[in-house]
Order: sequence, then structure tokens, then C-alpha cells
Amino acid sequence: MPESTAVATRAASPSPDQSRARSRAHTRARLRRVGAALPVVLVCVFLVLPLLVVAISSFADRNSFAFPPSGLSLRWYGEVFSSDAWLGALAASGRLLLVVVPIVVVLGVLGGYAVGAGRFPGRQALSLLFLAPIMVPGVMLGLALLHQMQGLGLVGSSAGLILAHLVVTLPFAIRVISVSAASLDPRLVRAAQSLGASPLRAFLTVTVPLLRPGIVAAGFLAAVISLGEVAVSVFVAGARSATAPVLIYSAVQVQMEPTIAAISTLMLLASVVVIAVLDRTVRISRFL
Amino acid sequence: MTTLRQRLAGGRTTGLLAAVVPTLFVVLAFVVPLAGLLVLSFRPTDAFNLPLDGFTLTQYAQVFTTPYLYDSLLESLSLALRVSLTCLVLGFPIAWYLARTPTGWRKTIVFTITLSPLLTSEVVRSFGWRVVTSGEGPVNRGLQALGLIETSLPLLRSPWTVFLAVVHVLLPFAIIALTASLKTIDDAVLRASADLGASGLRTFRSVVLPLSTPGLVAGAVIVFSLTMGIYVTPLLVGGANQPLAGLRVQNEALVTFNQPRAAALSFVLLLLTLTVVAIVTALSRLADRSNRA
Repeated sequence: MPESTAVATRAASPSPDQSRARSRAHTRARLRRVGAALPVVLVCVFLVLPLLVVAISSFADRNSFAFPPSGLSLRWYGEVFSSDAWLGALAASGRLLLVVVPIVVVLGVLGGYAVGAGRFPGRQALSLLFLAPIMVPGVMLGLALLHQMQGLGLVGSSAGLILAHLVVTLPFAIRVISVSAASLDPRLVRAAQSLGASPLRAFLTVTVPLLRPGIVAAGFLAAVISLGEVAVSVFVAGARSATAPVLIYSAVQVQMEPTIAAISTLMLLASVVVIAVLDRTVRISRFL
Repeated sequence: MTTLRQRLAGGRTTGLLAAVVPTLFVVLAFVVPLAGLLVLSFRPTDAFNLPLDGFTLTQYAQVFTTPYLYDSLLESLSLALRVSLTCLVLGFPIAWYLARTPTGWRKTIVFTITLSPLLTSEVVRSFGWRVVTSGEGPVNRGLQALGLIETSLPLLRSPWTVFLAVVHVLLPFAIIALTASLKTIDDAVLRASADLGASGLRTFRSVVLPLSTPGLVAGAVIVFSLTMGIYVTPLLVGGANQPLAGLRVQNEALVTFNQPRAAALSFVLLLLTLTVVAIVTALSRLADRSNRA
């Protein structure tokens, strides 16, 4: 770039006039950088603000949402850990997670592999079918599952809730794993098979390990979605199987209490840690 | 004749075999219930809103003649359009930053902040907006401290708070779609534009914007679709009286217990959503073609 070099040479020659011009250019460059960063910072503040306010309110010493709180205490956390309802809901969320994540990972590996690495006619249509549940509003999916389960007598059962969470998380798992599967090198599987591995063995010992980053990301994503799912769960959850978000959903409509802020903060903390770790380890941003 | 083994090695059969179980699952757990819901939407109801056998278009007729129901569709449409536009405008700078900055701790922070609302339960985020806009919340306290207002504003039930909360809930989706598309813009193109003497604004208008159309369309489509069916956030922030279609479906299904009518309303809502999405996609294809010509 000859022109910019010329500018640089001219600006480098010592003269008070030019050094003033240079410092003005410097200020302008800095202004421009701040101007570019400002929208990013403002939007980040907008995104964080309500979550931060929840976290701060959870440490309030009185039963009020006055902001800022008049004093700090941990009593609402104590309240959460001594309440059967909240502990039960947290346990329900945890149990659900332990069942949903392994199943959705297995289904996701099969589906993601078929869509990402399979070569057969109708693959596009299949991929559309797998992703379709995302396009249907949660309220509609919830109503459809509720209606179906009324026929089967499964309303309020944990089987119904498991089914609902599988339907909601599977499209995301398939999407993430199919991205990994699309970049698989087919020669590796062929090499395994020419060395005598059966197709099943090649799938389990070559393909699945190669898909590991996608599988880890899909598992975490499914876990976080299942932990937070409420729109569909409200329809199918019974009083006994209510998960933590479903209990928050009903509690917020009845009465606002800092206990809700405490349990929200605990859930918030869990997801923030998960995302930060995920981005640093498997670079989950690649899959989205 | 190829043996089974050779065909399996081709990858073609392995893919098909792998597809069997997830396909069965999606059909049984998603397609069948949805088909059941479609059938339900054509059922007549008795005096207690319970579905009877038979076929009727009454439920759909009700949806199009009851202002309580069809107004909610229009209101959802209007909210979805406003929310999509807002999310694109607010999401663009963040997406630009995420797409154009090398990895580092600052980017990890922005990335975490961007995604944390997405991965935090909708109830937690809605609860946050309730606290923010409550009578003694930070907004009212701040405005009072500045001397701008004397008594607390009733922010909680206002449609504007609902709008803001929905934007907050869905903004991450717009950012993800935009980031993916902005990543593909070549730096050389931007330099070329600047070298040819275009101002920053001109480069943005005639280079960046056309090249990011796929991301803008993808972001708009996903945010629009999600807003059309949203009910948890409006319910928790604005209350059960917010005139939105998703909320009316929930209300008909779980409060009035008129499941056939809820089913009919939800299918009209889905059809309306898919129609708008199809129109937007077709228009963007058209614009893309004329850009290229």
C-alpha cells in the first residue's frame, strides 16, 4: 500500500502542526473504536441486566424485591434447601436429566450420522423431519402430547415428561452431531472394514469416537435445554413430577418471593459455567 | 450381485440403518400426536367443552369470527414483526464482533453473555424482567432517584415490557444466525471497498448488508417463528390477559378446557407462521437473484 506508507512518512516528520494532526487522527481512531464497541457493550448490558438483578435480589435480607436490597443474607438459599417442594423439584429435574440425556445422545448419534454422513435418497427430507419439532410452537407441541397422553393414560406420569423432553431436545442433538458427521472422512471407516472390522464394530470403534466433540456438545446442550424447558412441560407434568422450572412457573404466578430468585440464581450459575467451559473445551460456537 | 457386507461398507446402508430408530421415534412421538391434534381440531364439543365424535368446521369458524381469538393472531403477528426487526438491529453489532474477532477471553465473555440467556430457563429470564420492572425494582428506583417520576410506574403489565422481555429471550437466536453468516464475508472485500474510496457507511450499505442477507433472513425467520408461539414470557411478565395467540391457546387448553378450539387456533397460528416464513424466504431468493444479475 504505497499511499498509506506515504502518509505514514509524512506524519512521522517532526513539526508541531503535523504532530497535532497526528494526535487528532489518533483521537479519531480511538473514538471510532469506542463507537464500534459501544453497541456491543450496551447489548451485553441489556442481556445481562435482568439476570444480574435476579442474582442480587436472591441475597436480600428481607422478603421484598426493593432494589438495591437493604441488606444481604443467605436466608433464601437456606429456604430453598430446607423446602421439600423445591428440593423435590430439583430432584425431579435431575432425575429427568439422567434419563433424557443418554437416550437423546444415542438417538442423536444415529440420526445425526444418518443426516450428516449418510448417502441415500430422501436424506434432505429426513433432515427436515428431524428438525420439524423446532418449528412447532411449544404450546402446540405441549397440547398435542397432552391430548395423546390422555388417550394413553400417561398424563402427569414421568414417562410423559421424558417423552416431551426427548421430543424437544432431539432436534438440537441431531443438528449438532450431524455437523460433526458431515466432516467425517469415509476412508477411515473403509480402512477399518478392510482390516476386518464388521460394520457395527467400525461404527462403534471408529465413527463414534470421531464424533465425540459433537456428542459432548449435544449432550450438554440437551442437558441445559431439558433443565430449562417449561413451555411443553407445563402441559404434561403432574403435581408430583413437576420440574424446577415448572415450579418456578407456577410460583411466579402466585406470589413473588426471593426464594424464586435464589433457585433461579442456582440454575443460572449452572448454565453460565456450562457454556464457558463448553466454549473453552469443545468450542461449542462451531456447532451453532 | 453385491453381498450385504459390501453394501454396508458403502455407507449408504449404514446411514439408512442408523436412521431407522430416530425416524420411528420422531414419527411416534411427534408426527402422530400432531396428527391427533389435527383430528381433534375438527371435533365438535359438548356443553362442557369435551370433544365428541364427528366432523365439524365449527372450531375454525369460531377462530375466525371471535375477536378474542382472531385479534390475538393479529397481535402476535404485529409483535413478531417488531421483535424480529429489533432483534436483527440489536444483534448485528454483537454478531459482527463475534464473527470478526479472534478467540480470546474478551470474546469468551461476550459469547457467554450472548448465550447465557438462551441456555437459561425462560422462566428465570421472565422472572428477571418482573423484578426489574416491579414497583420497587431498579427501573422505578432509578427514575425516582433521578427525580423523573414521583410514584412508581406500572411497568409490569405493560405491553412494552412484554415486548422488551420477548426481545431479550429471542435475541440470542438472531445473534447465532447472524454470526454464522457474517463469518463468511471475506475481509478482502471490505478492504477493496475501502480502497475504492467508499465510506464506512457506504461499505456497510452496499457490501456488508447484501452479503449478510442470508443471515438476516435466517435470523428473522427463527425469531419470527418463535415469537408467534411464545406464551410463557408474556404470561409471566404481562399476565394472562396479554392478547397473544400462544397465550390464548394455552388459556383455551388449560383454563377453559376447550381442547378442540385450542387445537384449531394453534393450527391457524402454525399456518400463518409458515406462510409468512415462506413469503420472506421467497422474497429473499428473488432479491438474491436480482443482486446477482
